Amino acid sequence: MTYLTLMQGFSAARIPRRRGSTIEDQQLRTGPTISIVDDDESMRCAVKSLVTSLGFAACTFASAEEFLQSPCLDDTACLITDLQMPGLSGIELQKSLLAQDRHIPIIFMTAFSEERIRTRAMEAGALGFLSKPFESQTLITLIDKAIETSRKN
Amino acid sequence: MRAIAQNGTGSRAEAAAPAITGVSDEQQVLLSTLPPSRGQKRLAFAIVLVLLAAFCATLPFATVPLGYIREFIPAYAAAMFVISSITSALLFVQFSIVRSRALLAVSAGYLFSALITIPWALTFPDLFGESDMAGTTWGVLTRIWRLVFPLSVIGYTLLKDDDARTAWPRALSYFAVLLSAAGVLVAVDLVAWLATTTRDSTPSGLPFSILDRSQIYWNALFLLLALFALALLWSRRRSVLDLWLMVVMCGLVIELCLITLVGRRYVVGWYAARVYFLVSSTLVLAVLLSETALLYARLARSVMGQRREREARLMTLDVLSASIAHEMRQPLASIVTNVDAASRWMGRPTPDLDEVKATLEQIRNSAYRARDLIGSIRAMVKRDGRNRAALNLNDLVHEVLALMKGEFQRNRISVELELDENLPLTKGDRIQLQQVLTNLMTNAIEAMAEKKWPRILRIKSATEEPNGVLISVADTGKGIDPKIVDRIFNPLFTTKSSGMGLGLAICRSIIEGHDGRLWVSAGPEGGSVFQFVLPANIAS
Repeated sequence: MTYLTLMQGFSAARIPRRRGSTIEDQQLRTGPTISIVDDDESMRCAVKSLVTSLGFAACTFASAEEFLQSPCLDDTACLITDLQMPGLSGIELQKSLLAQDRHIPIIFMTAFSEERIRTRAMEAGALGFLSKPFESQTLITLIDKAIETSRKN
Repeated sequence: MRAIAQNGTGSRAEAAAPAITGVSDEQQVLLSTLPPSRGQKRLAFAIVLVLLAAFCATLPFATVPLGYIREFIPAYAAAMFVISSITSALLFVQFSIVRSRALLAVSAGYLFSALITIPWALTFPDLFGESDMAGTTWGVLTRIWRLVFPLSVIGYTLLKDDDARTAWPRALSYFAVLLSAAGVLVAVDLVAWLATTTRDSTPSGLPFSILDRSQIYWNALFLLLALFALALLWSRRRSVLDLWLMVVMCGLVIELCLITLVGRRYVVGWYAARVYFLVSSTLVLAVLLSETALLYARLARSVMGQRREREARLMTLDVLSASIAHEMRQPLASIVTNVDAASRWMGRPTPDLDEVKATLEQIRNSAYRARDLIGSIRAMVKRDGRNRAALNLNDLVHEVLALMKGEFQRNRISVELELDENLPLTKGDRIQLQQVLTNLMTNAIEAMAEKKWPRILRIKSATEEPNGVLISVADTGKGIDPKIVDRIFNPLFTTKSSGMGLGLAICRSIIEGHDGRLWVSAGPEGGSVFQFVLPANIAS
């Protein structure tokens, strides 16, 4: 109960700023795309819902391979990916993108928070590393940062 | 592990152990209780055959004089002293474990053999130029030894079956070892002193004048005694020790036969007789030592195996909790993210109710998923009902304490036990309940490790009316913040930097799976008290 109230308070605090930028939201919808890779469907949908509520376009993929083969790859301004997945892992996805010389800002999510992997991901240039369950605000801040980076490029 | 617990709880546990076999698990590895294998029997038989063959081979030359070999007696005595001392030490160790009077008798007999060789060698007539044969101290000592040693073996054989079920208290057994060793020492001194003084004052005087009768009668008596001991051992043979004592007695019989047949000193037979007995004693000692070493190796392996098994079990729990944590975090993360998304859709100038509805749907699904996950963990804990058996929680406490002894010492924590001796049995899965106790004790150690003094772990067991068994684990640690006390049993809740926060959740699942309750309260002098109640096993 307390937790929910807290989260509502959070959102309420965020809403005025977003309200002021409704037009920007509309523009963004057709603007940068955010790709979400997670083998867990509920998580994939939840992140997609959050991202679209922010006004971004979102593409979802159940595996890293699926993402690498999709046309969304070229439009992706920010990648939010799970770490442990069947097939290619998040870290391997990061490596494969760097090998293709694609410097997409990446935000990792994981249910195993292991310091060693976190360090490895951050050293390879990840934008953020979130332990599930994470606060949505942290994700939003990271997405904002990613879009800004993409825009500069 | 069972063996440790049985030692720890003493007679109570032994009384609870099945009395049908009469031999508990820990005694299955002892020379004095372990039945000989076929290979051992064959080896013993072969040794006896070789001795007999040697005896027969010696017979034609038995009376060939060899002359006086000055070095023989001191060397023989030294060898016998070493062999008998080691054998007696080996047997005293066996006694300290089994605590039976039979073993005490035979150990004392061997100690006596070892000690008497000293005056025996020193009084050997020709060693210092004496020649008086029949009445010498040496002859008296030889006869006393030939009386005492078979008698101690007979004593062992007669006592060994009665003693199987009545072990002495541990403290008393060390006392008994010391007392009998001291007694043997005094007896040897006394015998040597008497043998020396009586010969000096009156060569035919009391009490050893009786020993000066014709040598042949004496030898007949010794032979009968040794044969009687052998027959008795044969009729009651059960253990490895019995088998090898029989070999020793065969050696003694052969020695006596040879000595009786030749009837004088310094001939081949006289020397050979002693060599045969020495050989049989040495072989027996070698076999006993190798058996002990083998048993030790086997025991060490099984202890290592148990330790590995325990580590594997803890590891499994760790891996299990990690995967539970992973599975639990997915729906939780999804719920949190969806709640925020829904709130955003609502907060738009024109709320998108379709999106809100879809998101709420997602939240419900994730919550169901978490519920099913908890259900399956509980089912996993519950499903193992086939491993449940009647058990005494006091024994379990002792077992876990023995396993964690090192942890308590390292953290300088003293343990106070207040166990109800009349605690009714309860029915449960030994390993799961052990896990609960281990977990509660580990938490207590960690709670106290951050505090200076005092560091006391109090473990209580009690009967809980109407029919429950209560265990309480109290620490003098920093206690639990009342603000979080309601949440400490929740999965994923943890105050520690390491760990998944599943320990107490699993503990509660296990206890509830056993139809019990687990709760926590603040200790009277700080710290916290974890208690659980399990139903008593009424059927028992």
